[in-house]
Amino acid sequence: MLQTLPAASTAVEAPRLPILQLVGVRKMFGGFAAVEGIDLDVREGEFLTIVGPSGSGKTTLLRMLAGMDTPSEGNITLRGELINDVPPNKRPTCLVFQSLALFPHKSVGENIAFALKVKGADAATRKKRALELMRIVRLPDNYHDKNVMKCSGGERQRVALARAFAYDPEVLFFDEPLSALDYKLKKALEKELKDLHRETGKTFIYITHSLEEAMVMSDRIGVMRAGRLVQVGTPEEIYGAPVDRFVSEFVGEVNTLKMKRVGQQWQGVDVPGTFTLGSPQNGAVLDEAFVVIRPEYMRFLAAGERADNQLKGTVYNEYSLGSRIQYQVRVGSKDAGEKVMLVELSRARALPPGASREVTIGWDAADAFTLGS
Amino acid sequence: MADIALARAPETARQVRQARMLSVGARCALPVAVLLGIGFLAPMVAILAYSFATPRSFDVFRSFTLENFASIFDPTNTVWLSFAWSVGFALFTVAILAVIAYPIAYGLNAVFGRWAGFISVLFVFPLFVSENVRLYGWVLFFIKNGVLDGTLKWLGLPGGPEVLYTPGVTLFGMAYTYLPFMLFPMTLGLALVPRDLVDAARDLGAGRLFIWREIELPLAMPGILIGMLLTFVLAIGATAEAKILGGQSIIVISHDIEIAFTYSQNWPLGSALAVVVSVFIAALTLTALSKLDLDRMLGRR
Amino acid sequence: MAGISRRSMLQGMAAGAGALAAGPLLGTGSAFAAREKELNILCWEGYNSAQVLDPFREKTGATVKAESLTNDPTMINRLRAGETNTWDLINVNNPWARKVMLPEKLIKPLPKAEFEPFFAQMLPEFKWPYKWAMSEDGADLLGMVQRFGPYSFVVNTDKVSRKTAEETGWDLFNDPALAGKYGILESDDWNVFNIFIVAGIDPFKVHTPDELAKFEETAKRVFKGAKLIGDIASMNQALISGEIDLHLTGGTYSVSPARADGHPNLRAITPLKGPLAGGKGGISWIEVTSTVNNPNLSPLALEFLKYVQAPEVAHTVAFAEGTFNPVAQMGNKACFDLFTKEELDAIQWDSLEEEMARSVEYDIVPDYDKALDIMNAAKRLRG
Repeated sequence: MLQTLPAASTAVEAPRLPILQLVGVRKMFGGFAAVEGIDLDVREGEFLTIVGPSGSGKTTLLRMLAGMDTPSEGNITLRGELINDVPPNKRPTCLVFQSLALFPHKSVGENIAFALKVKGADAATRKKRALELMRIVRLPDNYHDKNVMKCSGGERQRVALARAFAYDPEVLFFDEPLSALDYKLKKALEKELKDLHRETGKTFIYITHSLEEAMVMSDRIGVMRAGRLVQVGTPEEIYGAPVDRFVSEFVGEVNTLKMKRVGQQWQGVDVPGTFTLGSPQNGAVLDEAFVVIRPEYMRFLAAGERADNQLKGTVYNEYSLGSRIQYQVRVGSKDAGEKVMLVELSRARALPPGASREVTIGWDAADAFTLGS
Repeated sequence: MADIALARAPETARQVRQARMLSVGARCALPVAVLLGIGFLAPMVAILAYSFATPRSFDVFRSFTLENFASIFDPTNTVWLSFAWSVGFALFTVAILAVIAYPIAYGLNAVFGRWAGFISVLFVFPLFVSENVRLYGWVLFFIKNGVLDGTLKWLGLPGGPEVLYTPGVTLFGMAYTYLPFMLFPMTLGLALVPRDLVDAARDLGAGRLFIWREIELPLAMPGILIGMLLTFVLAIGATAEAKILGGQSIIVISHDIEIAFTYSQNWPLGSALAVVVSVFIAALTLTALSKLDLDRMLGRR
Repeated sequence: MAGISRRSMLQGMAAGAGALAAGPLLGTGSAFAAREKELNILCWEGYNSAQVLDPFREKTGATVKAESLTNDPTMINRLRAGETNTWDLINVNNPWARKVMLPEKLIKPLPKAEFEPFFAQMLPEFKWPYKWAMSEDGADLLGMVQRFGPYSFVVNTDKVSRKTAEETGWDLFNDPALAGKYGILESDDWNVFNIFIVAGIDPFKVHTPDELAKFEETAKRVFKGAKLIGDIASMNQALISGEIDLHLTGGTYSVSPARADGHPNLRAITPLKGPLAGGKGGISWIEVTSTVNNPNLSPLALEFLKYVQAPEVAHTVAFAEGTFNPVAQMGNKACFDLFTKEELDAIQWDSLEEEMARSVEYDIVPDYDKALDIMNAAKRLRG
């Protein structure tokens, strides 16, 4: 929906072979497993994002991929070669740090050309390549000698990116580099990063706690929770078919209703009523289930209009989300159980100003997911 | 005056309160200011005044002459030797300590982990014992039939080297005494190098030496230079090492000043020497600090 | 008005500068306070010890403070810098009272009648009227004598026999074979005397340019040849450990603690002959303790001077911590009997009389400043 085009398809037509493979990777800190049971194939040229809340182990995973930590168990292979113990300076990978880790005592050009200096390139070569890379990341030439700490936040991002490109890595890692930026700049840079990915054809592995960021840029998304990869899939798969309640809630604000089976019918636990449910994801037979309905699949029902499921309620709050409006609707009753449901509509379909606050909300079974508890 | 005061009079109650708070602040600072004035400024003024007094007299404020300075800069006066020795000792002390303290500072930051605190205390602990006592301890260590010589002989070896009462052992004593003053600013300087930068440099293919040269050293430089400056300034004023360990094999400049104030009873000459040395150190420090752009080095500009 | 305020400011500054050095005694010498219960003593090491002062403190209930220095001119200059208001007693070597401090009005005479009888109890050479206790005209009693001793040089008799040392005398320090085997006890006025003597010159006179040139040459050589220069503790330690065989400048005052500590092989030497007046070979010192010309002198000053004459106290002074010395009061049998054989041995009592006889008494070098400057410059050339 948000991601209409598999982005890398234009750049790489060759079959996507795994460039990085993780098998049973585990990392212990003392008695605590920060990362556990990770099996993952990263395809050449893809943009893979690992999302998860803080503490979910995504940074630890990234540090192992970059070589700054070694796995306690399991194997990491790069093009079939075991790299568990290969130090970062011997890996054809490069990490863009959350802090960016720009060298404050060096100019923009010196920062970018650092990897070239390591390789022993002469000053002229370094400058030439730095300027090339600056053009790629859209930095003006006269920034070459500018002190990097005098650059703005967005410019620094570009320097960090160009510096990583100068290393000419096969895989680029990103550790939430955009997290400190304001919304507008972040949006612009997300797009630029996506473009750069397409232009360079490199494999990008990006970690973030923001699914929104992941959705915009990624070919595939891996969701982490408590050290484990819970689900790996395209943005559509993650959004449209979350494997569990954690993923569904993590993916965005959702309405969740707990159900129990009574005979052939599903009865609401939180709010009274009988509901129609779609089949569960894996086809299991459930006695208890969660129904997850995204706010944008909810609608207000006009008189006589029908939906598979409907609830009466009162609008008690509304938020503008720009082009969309979110309504908070209290359903149920004080005695039998009350719940706040979210309904999100485009502005064009908003409730008219004078409309009654007493509404009926509804959704179709096909638009909701049924998950086991 | 009154007009100006009126014009600038605080208009709101809040401004009045602020103005009063300032004056309270100034009043609170007064004891410290007075203490500084008496404890710090007065001796300096006295020394400066004495340096212009008639040689070998106590006619401070009652005579004015440049004779003391003239005699110091007289080419036949060998006091420059003491000065040269002091500067030389200080430079060598700084150089030796820079080499010794760096690995320790690095260890305190990156290697010793939870032992770092304990190890720091070990380096601080000797400071609680009088410097002279510690130096006499080293005399007992190095002296004939002392700890070193005696132990080696007991082991059937020919005995310790004859190092006591030499310039070399003076330098050793200075390096020993001033180690903490180099170590701690240096440790702080190294602590200022963000771990990320080192990781990033390594990730970009750099080896240990390259990272050290290009990242660690330049970024730790403020701490290193402050340590060096502190050590140099302290070392140039050191006397106890040359007297106790060195057996006065070398007369250092501060010893010359001491001689002028004690045995020679030539306070004006001693003061003039003190003024010359102070001016030298102040000029050096200010030059170094002005060249040493901390902001730039820390990347804050 | 301006003159007065400027003058008082200058005095204040001078007092402040003096107080810089006085440090711990800052403020104790207030001229306005009643001083019945306080006493301040400026002295050589020994009189400041608790063994000497504590009984007096108990007896009088007074606050007694004593500061020890290791140099006569320093002490005298403290008085010159305005500290006559602070101190009550000053304890320095023999010539200063009559030749310098009385003419400069830094001290005041003692009541003769009260103190003359004590001299009768002293060793014969201190009998009334003892020269260094009296003013030049012989009219005033300027101070009381107590500790004394010969002070030339010290040898380790295991390395240089007493006989060789006494016969060779100061030429030991002219012997190239001994270069690097001797130390110099830092005591600049005594070092000046000794360098003159090593150069074969009488120190206690005005010197010709030739003599000063000889002095300079000797100073350079003697300092260059010294293994170390240091204080008494350093010298004794170096002698005991074998780092050095002998050291220039020293006597019972410096070596007695080491002798008492079980090193009788270390010995103060007074050469048989030398370039001093009458061909004498050594120099001796006699401490004179005088009352400072303090406008508000503590009445305890006189009491303290009497207190130290008592046999027990005199013995305690002789064996105060840090340095052991003969005292004039040993002329009194009651006092002498308090000394054990070991104590007499530590202060070389066996040869004390002859050594004193071979010594001239400490005196002032007229061109001391010039000689000292030469010597200090020579020291710098060691490195």
